[in-house]
Amino acid sequence: MSRISGFWRSPWLLYAALCSPLVLAGAAVLRQEIGYLADPAKYLLEFLGKAAVVLLVVTLCITPVRQLFPKWELSKALVFRRRQIGVSVFVYALLHFALYLPYVGGWQGVVEEWSKLFILSGLLALALLLVLAGTSNNFSVKRMGGKRWKRLHKLTYLVVALVIYHQFAQEKTGYRETLLYFWPLFLLEGIRLFRWAKAGVTRPA
Amino acid sequence: MHVGKRRSWQLSESEAISEGDYWNRRKFLKAVGLGTGSLAGIPNLIGATAGFPTTRNPKYSGEGLDVTDYDLVSGYNNFYEFSYDKDGPAKLANKGWKTEPWTLEVGGLVDNPLKLDVNDLIKRVGGIEQRVYRFRCVEAWSMVIPWDGFQLSKLLQLASPKSGAKFVKFTTFFDPKVAPGQRGGSIDWPYVEALTLAEAMNELTLLATGIFGKPMPNQNGAPIRLVVPWKYGFKSIKSIVRIDLVDTKPVNTWQALQPSEYGFYANVNPKVDHPRWSQGSERVIGGGFFSGRKDTLMFNGYEEQVAGLYDGLDLRRNY
Repeated sequence: MSRISGFWRSPWLLYAALCSPLVLAGAAVLRQEIGYLADPAKYLLEFLGKAAVVLLVVTLCITPVRQLFPKWELSKALVFRRRQIGVSVFVYALLHFALYLPYVGGWQGVVEEWSKLFILSGLLALALLLVLAGTSNNFSVKRMGGKRWKRLHKLTYLVVALVIYHQFAQEKTGYRETLLYFWPLFLLEGIRLFRWAKAGVTRPA
Repeated sequence: MHVGKRRSWQLSESEAISEGDYWNRRKFLKAVGLGTGSLAGIPNLIGATAGFPTTRNPKYSGEGLDVTDYDLVSGYNNFYEFSYDKDGPAKLANKGWKTEPWTLEVGGLVDNPLKLDVNDLIKRVGGIEQRVYRFRCVEAWSMVIPWDGFQLSKLLQLASPKSGAKFVKFTTFFDPKVAPGQRGGSIDWPYVEALTLAEAMNELTLLATGIFGKPMPNQNGAPIRLVVPWKYGFKSIKSIVRIDLVDTKPVNTWQALQPSEYGFYANVNPKVDHPRWSQGSERVIGGGFFSGRKDTLMFNGYEEQVAGLYDGLDLRRNY
């Protein structure tokens, strides 16, 4: 791991960024936004779900950004903090699920709806995120060994697929919003694939 | 506006309107020299149907129902012509979109085609009345709304449908210059909706020109919109410019978009789920965080008035 200098070194900057969705949600409550007044549970549920999606996209963009801009300080810092950002995805997904409960009317509502692909995709993604977040610590990396740990964490791509479906399925028409959140990932992965195909060499890890 | 003695159930309604706040805000706007409707989120008071008195029809007084707050009814809207966000239409539909004067045309298979101003139309049908109806969105949320308007059947009688007419097709305005949503997206504008002639003639079916005794706010579909309380909200097409009597079943906007999810009828039915979510229960708008869910009623609680329209029809297939 190359050294990170100066400004980006402090973890507090990252922690502040990771807490910002909570602050923004709180601000929306204080402003008494109409969407919040109309249905508070739904409003917060969607807000925190979006936070999880954005952070997931950020987590997944880190490696391709690093490959494109290896000398950029921010990209180095992000690689260094990637595990923490990944864990925050799980935290927001869990909060999102916690708000789904009052929205759907408790466990009974979950039982009624869980088999719908829309809900199932979210529940599965949350379960996988639990595994990933649970092993996102130095102890797990050591115990599992780097290679096995990496293989396990390739599950992130399955999470992404599930979340893309989950996001898409809540849109009433088209895929506008899904594209809005995922375009940086699509773009970067596209570039990555293109470069990989052009170079004709094995993909960098 | 109350008719007769004030009963216990009317309490919530008077709270809902908060007339004082409403007019004070208007006075404030006048005082600072702003025209009404010029500020984002302020309902347009100079609607096409201003000035028509409305009285509550005692048959549809909404007894036992809690009327939703005016601010929520006029602030939480689906109106994709303006925005995909619920709070978008209240801002964007009041930015230069003119809903007065407004001409409505009735044509197709009728003996007396009509083309007249909405205000004249209200005079022709003998004025407006208020009815409190449940309103259930396909997205599994609901409101209770006092609509002001008249029965669609009155207009249809004026136009006098020919014997071959079987369906009534409605078309919304089309003006991409003022309606940003109409400049693109996956929807084929303008929005169209249709009912069978029997559904259109049902006593519940309204053409609404206002809510809460006030002219229809732009974001709620000024100046004239359909209200079909036993169907999902998207059937109640807004800002109508054309009504046509036709002999073949039209394809409605949502039906064209997602035929597997939205059918022609779109009757509220707790037993037939949306493929992606349950329709068995609903969130009550304004109910608060811990309100839970309310059971959705067959035909949104209007089974008695409309079930007969669907005798012998498999509602699971004809969703």
